[in-house]
Amino acid sequence: MEVINSRSALLSNFEVLELLRDLENDHLARTKTAIRVKKEEEASGIPSQAKHPATIEVTENVRTIQVEAIQYLTAEYQPTSSQTPNGITQLVKDLANYKLTKAEKLQIVNLAPTQPVELYVIVEELEDRLGESMETVLSTVSASLSAAPSHPLNASSPAPVLPMASSDTMGDLSLQYPSEDFNDAGMVNDMVFDDEGQGVGIEGDLDKEEED
Amino acid sequence: MTSDMFNLAILKDTVAIHPSNFGLPPEQALIAELNKKYANRVLHDVGLCVSVFDLSEVGEGKVRYGDGFLWYKTVFRMVILRPFTSEVILGKVKSSDESSVRVSLGFFDDIYIPAIYLPQPSCFDPNERAHFWIPDSELTKPHELLDTPTAGRMYIDTGEVIRIRVEADEFYDDEPGPPKALEGVAVANEVRRAPYSIIASIAEQGLGPVSWWNGAGAEAEDAEMEDAEMEEG
Repeated sequence: MEVINSRSALLSNFEVLELLRDLENDHLARTKTAIRVKKEEEASGIPSQAKHPATIEVTENVRTIQVEAIQYLTAEYQPTSSQTPNGITQLVKDLANYKLTKAEKLQIVNLAPTQPVELYVIVEELEDRLGESMETVLSTVSASLSAAPSHPLNASSPAPVLPMASSDTMGDLSLQYPSEDFNDAGMVNDMVFDDEGQGVGIEGDLDKEEED
Repeated sequence: MTSDMFNLAILKDTVAIHPSNFGLPPEQALIAELNKKYANRVLHDVGLCVSVFDLSEVGEGKVRYGDGFLWYKTVFRMVILRPFTSEVILGKVKSSDESSVRVSLGFFDDIYIPAIYLPQPSCFDPNERAHFWIPDSELTKPHELLDTPTAGRMYIDTGEVIRIRVEADEFYDDEPGPPKALEGVAVANEVRRAPYSIIASIAEQGLGPVSWWNGAGAEAEDAEMEDAEMEEG
């Protein structure tokens, strides 16, 4: 195992929530399918196999972190569930006028301060740098939050192109996205099947093996 | 330095797919295997792995002598939790003891606010099992502070939502060693240190339980902001 880059890009809480919700929906869809298939097999008298060929076993650590991270990000004291991709895009655009660092802009997106004291802990020397505009910043933030929390995406609705939209405008925050959309099945399509024959110094014995 | 709770790390690893999973599209099987290995685990000096973000490169699956698995060399991106120094995040108070307040994010709970990073003057109340702060007080000694009326105390109670600033983080690579024998009695478990922990502070205007600051009038805050010269992080 090798760490190529321990910090190649930053993610907003919203993006992480989207990813986790996608994975959650995949998991639910697969579980439903597995249950349905199992019922069909039982109904038609086929002895159900120990493991259906299309099932992916999901281990506890995966589910634990996914569920708990979703709970954290959708907590009512967090603004994340009231955020929308367009809201964030707009917010970042509006914040461009105020000479804030990347860190500050991203924290404003993540924490969505609506009161002066919240902004104060994020932006250093708030009065000197923002002064009058503080209220404007706060109202811009409030405007970016929708009234109702966005409901979790259901498997039935098409996966939105949202990450792409935000990525263009948030380009200055150096966020990276896969080059293609997440489709409904949550499969990532931007894989490059790399036909490197010889390993570069990794697990040497793999090189010696002949493929069947 | 930019700061954000979550970031992407690019990792490289070799993954084995069991024949029972050959019916799956390889990318699904690989992501599942990678998540099995990394999700909710700490990578030293990187952070807490949350989930695979995507696969960047996948080599051709190779069969290895001695097992029927297909081995794939992969380069992939992983969502990592590692808040930066001076970043402000929200959490919940999990517990308190004399030396610190422990904060949790649900999926990660090794966050500690040592007593020195509480707003001063503050003190631990053994009856409540919680720390409290007395704003604008000149008292310093614990017995003086414990003598004050409870009404003036700002307690930091378990379960409260709290805004904290990250001061530092620590990675501990625990390697199991031989059990130590202490005076003939074998000590089975040393104190288990978390592989990754965060030290945080609330010794600043706007930090601490959010209930302390919600709805505080703009004028009161202006006055306080002019006074406050506390800079942390």
